[in-house]
Amino acid sequence: MGLAAAKNKKKIGLDPNNTKWSRNTETFGQRILRAQGWKPGEYLGAKDAPHAEFHTAANAAHIRVVLKEDNLGLGAKRNNGDECTGLDAFQDLLGRLNGKSQETLESERKAREEVKLNLYVMKKLGPMRFVKGGWLVGDQVKATLENESAQENSEDSKEKSPSSESAADASSIGKTEQSNDEEEKGQKKDKKSKKRKAESEPEEESESSREKKKKKKGKREQKDKKRRSDSEGVESESNGVDGSEDRNGSSTIASSVSKDAETGSSSESKKDKKKERKNKKKDKKEKKGKKDKSVSDSGAESGESIPKEKKKTKEKSADAVSSSAPTPTESSVPTPSGSGYSTPVPTGPSRYLARSKFIAQKKMAFTDSTALNQIFMIKS
Amino acid sequence: MADITKGTKRLSGEAEGSQDSKRVKTNGDKMDAKNPYLAHLEEKPEADFESLLDKLERRNTTAKQAEAVEDSDINPWTGQRHSERYFKILKARRKLPVNKQRQEFLDLYHNNQILVFVGETGSGKTTQIPQYVLYDELPHQTGKLIACTQPRRVAAMSVAQRVADELDVKLGEEVGYSIRFENKTSSKTLLKYMTDGQLLREAMHDRDMSRYSCIILDEAHERTLATDILMALLKQLSERRKDLKIIVMSATLDAQKFQSYFFNAPLLAVPGRTHPVEIFYTPEAERDYVEAAIRTVLQIHACEPEGDILLFLTGEEEIEDACRRISLEVDEMIRESDAGPMSVYPLYGTLPPHQQQRIFEKAPQPFRPGGRPGRKCIVATNIAETSLTIDGIVYVVDPGFSKQKIYNPRTRVESLLVSPISKASAQQRAGRAGRTRPGKCFRLYTEEAFKKELIEQTYPEILRSNLSNTVLELKKLGVEDLVHFDLMDPPAPETMMRALEELNYLACLDDDGELTPLGNLASEFPLDPALAVMLISSPEFYCSNEILSITSLLSVPQIWVRPANARKRADEMKAQFAHPDGDHLTLLNAYHAYKGAEARGEDMKKWCHEHFLSYRHLSSADNVRAQLKKIMETHGIELVSTPFHDKNYYTNIRRALLAGFFMQVAMRESSNSKVYKTVKDEQLVLIHPSTTVTTPYEWVVYNEFVLTTKQYVRTVTNIRPEWLLEIAPVYYDLSTFQKGEIKNALTRVAEKIRRQQAMKASKA
Repeated sequence: MGLAAAKNKKKIGLDPNNTKWSRNTETFGQRILRAQGWKPGEYLGAKDAPHAEFHTAANAAHIRVVLKEDNLGLGAKRNNGDECTGLDAFQDLLGRLNGKSQETLESERKAREEVKLNLYVMKKLGPMRFVKGGWLVGDQVKATLENESAQENSEDSKEKSPSSESAADASSIGKTEQSNDEEEKGQKKDKKSKKRKAESEPEEESESSREKKKKKKGKREQKDKKRRSDSEGVESESNGVDGSEDRNGSSTIASSVSKDAETGSSSESKKDKKKERKNKKKDKKEKKGKKDKSVSDSGAESGESIPKEKKKTKEKSADAVSSSAPTPTESSVPTPSGSGYSTPVPTGPSRYLARSKFIAQKKMAFTDSTALNQIFMIKS
Repeated sequence: MADITKGTKRLSGEAEGSQDSKRVKTNGDKMDAKNPYLAHLEEKPEADFESLLDKLERRNTTAKQAEAVEDSDINPWTGQRHSERYFKILKARRKLPVNKQRQEFLDLYHNNQILVFVGETGSGKTTQIPQYVLYDELPHQTGKLIACTQPRRVAAMSVAQRVADELDVKLGEEVGYSIRFENKTSSKTLLKYMTDGQLLREAMHDRDMSRYSCIILDEAHERTLATDILMALLKQLSERRKDLKIIVMSATLDAQKFQSYFFNAPLLAVPGRTHPVEIFYTPEAERDYVEAAIRTVLQIHACEPEGDILLFLTGEEEIEDACRRISLEVDEMIRESDAGPMSVYPLYGTLPPHQQQRIFEKAPQPFRPGGRPGRKCIVATNIAETSLTIDGIVYVVDPGFSKQKIYNPRTRVESLLVSPISKASAQQRAGRAGRTRPGKCFRLYTEEAFKKELIEQTYPEILRSNLSNTVLELKKLGVEDLVHFDLMDPPAPETMMRALEELNYLACLDDDGELTPLGNLASEFPLDPALAVMLISSPEFYCSNEILSITSLLSVPQIWVRPANARKRADEMKAQFAHPDGDHLTLLNAYHAYKGAEARGEDMKKWCHEHFLSYRHLSSADNVRAQLKKIMETHGIELVSTPFHDKNYYTNIRRALLAGFFMQVAMRESSNSKVYKTVKDEQLVLIHPSTTVTTPYEWVVYNEFVLTTKQYVRTVTNIRPEWLLEIAPVYYDLSTFQKGEIKNALTRVAEKIRRQQAMKASKA
């Protein structure tokens, strides 16, 4: 609510809480209660009741509620989206005064910038999506998968449509392509059988930072990648590490605003877009993953604040679905994943939408026999 | 054979009943019929069939014995052969989780007077426990019934029907129900389901509840006003009547409060048939929970495997709006892609029952064999939280809000406001997802918000309500010491004071806090004291028929229908009934038109639909009117009318309104303002936009003071200040008023009256 916010005029009476009444000790009610042995400040009810330990403030005075006039979600602050320029510098200043080290300040600043950058890209270009492609080990691509939960596996197996598989292959394998063909196939099978997948260990790849990275689903990488690919289309990274990362993540860049990606892995890419955040619980992560996945055109709704953005991703999943026919996938899974579609078109009101609608309608018509009859003017 | 037995039973019952009739005045016109309240005083004729039950020893049976009786071919209650359906049901009953603990239950039941029973939804407690008690209490031997209370009327009716089926008896005979305005029991009734309010009303006339040998309070976790009072009464009563068994059943596991309240009663817990539910939070708070909810639903539809969705929102308008938007988006999704079909159903309290039933319809089939599965999405208020069980729900979307009634005793506003739910309630909501298989609950708030912003338990109704009716009931129940009345959750002292004060001004309580004859009479009406007093004093104004109609119309939900897509036409129709002097009179006009059309033999449903009136609420108002009329006749309150063509017809009605609502009067703040100020409490209010009153009257009486986006008074009628001084001189004692415009205005009016009287006197 800055100066520009809508004014909400309200006339308030002299004594909106009617304290005049509550202070009046002469009222009939108060007389009767006092006559029966009540003293101000006491609860009503039996003396020394054993259940009195459960009494709350609501037993002492009426319940107060805040008039809620908007659709603000639980816990959201009204001015959450507003940005105040210069606050960052001020925060640094306060940090210094509080004796934070230069390093932490620096890392905080970096994190903020990452968020900003990420938001900008999200708004401007829309998210990109990638598919898992395995890990590059030496010059071979292997099935990824550390001991992630069975869920993830199940997702994979469920979700991956053949087409997405191939997309994955194409996008991530890069130069190692040929050598890996067989392996790749094996991997597909793996995906189909959850168990095997679960077993397959991360392999040497898993240096600690890498592991962490993986858990984070390699979002950063993707983002990075996505940007590039924006211009180039799906591209195979020459950098083996990146490629494998992608494979693992198979995700969209999307709401990368997530967890503690800050971890050590700065070596891999500088685009650590993630906001610093406390370690969240597992389920939280999952949730996030879910959101991430459902990426898509946050671009459509620009100008939103971060939280909104996230939500947006949800909707988008719907949007995305509509614009690029294939549905995204299972959500609750921790992976940001991939629904199997590469690069969704950054939706917009554009002509693509109209066209895709048209195509979809056509498709529908072809599956409907009565419609077909009408089209071909066959009398049935 | 059985028929003859019935006949003799009834005959003997009638003889008994007529002897007792003088003692019980309340039954009025039913004198000659059987008095169900006194069934326990009758001698029970010996059953003429050999029942296996005769071998059982009361309050000392085992689960094995009871099951053997249940398994027999002959129905032990009626002597008839069991039907095939009975055994089919019996088989299913044996599989209920609660059945495994039948013996454990009986042991505890035998050894304790009070028992706390916790069973999650789906454990079968509501239907089975009363039957276990039935086979142990053997009420046909003692003539004392088993009562099981339910917070909702619909539940009482449907559960009674179910249990009658399970016992293979006819509803209304061995198993019956009793709800306000409907009593389906007979002299044979052994097990009676009833609303908690109904048991409370019975307790007013029979303080020892001597008809009952066991009282089961079901759904105690809902903590309705009536259940809370019943618990306090039963706690007292348990000291007096050691033979009375009490079972308190709750669906939530925080039963310690119940236990410590009931003298550390033992607890028996039965797990429900529930599956794990995975909980998801959002990483950040949402800017717009409705938007977020809709997206989540769509995303679930797009991305999650088969399973129905339950979305909790707060109110009718929000729900209808969300339903519309979800359907639109899904249609679009289907057009654009291979999404499955989805049917969206709203669910809220004021929805007509047949539309409520639609939520139980099957999810739609996929568009083609092998296609993406269809699903249904139910958008509900918190009535889907505990009261209704919808199978097939796998996904729950919980924005964390609900509409809650809150009463502020200082300003006397009762408001229905959107506020955060409690943790307990959030868990209940999540639990809805795990009824048929493992489910998921998406909470549209952060985990931190869950921990920090939500209160532990939802406030019980007694802390959120105006207590004037309750206090009147308590007085009638013989509770003298209101301060130390042992409620589980004692209300705020200010709320109690306000209630006492209101009752005192209404002359229901005298200055020592004792019930007056008027108060006694008012407590006979199942109405708010102000309405009851208005009704009782209406004959003085020669318009009790009209006031009776208005009272019934005010005690049902709004009769005006205003669908979002036809607001303008609805308003035009309403304007046809409008009376320039006020909304109460407009209501009356609509009711008269309704009765007129009915008399002409029109199709009333169609007529109501055409006139944007709610047929359901009008006919229930009609029903309420008939019931109230009966009560009035019983107590000798005259039903009179002023002739319609008399110029005082409407004036009399307006004056009669004041007899009950003189405390709900507002005066316009200044001559060109829309703002009114309530008398005494001096709150600034606006007249609710739904009014048909167009003239800005100086003084209005209002039916309710609500807080929505602003402070509004709803259902207003123009009155004259002279009447206030005349009808409620105690309340309008000018020396008790604070300085201000209202006092000045009233002083001027008083002056004027005095002058007129002086003039008259001098003329005479």
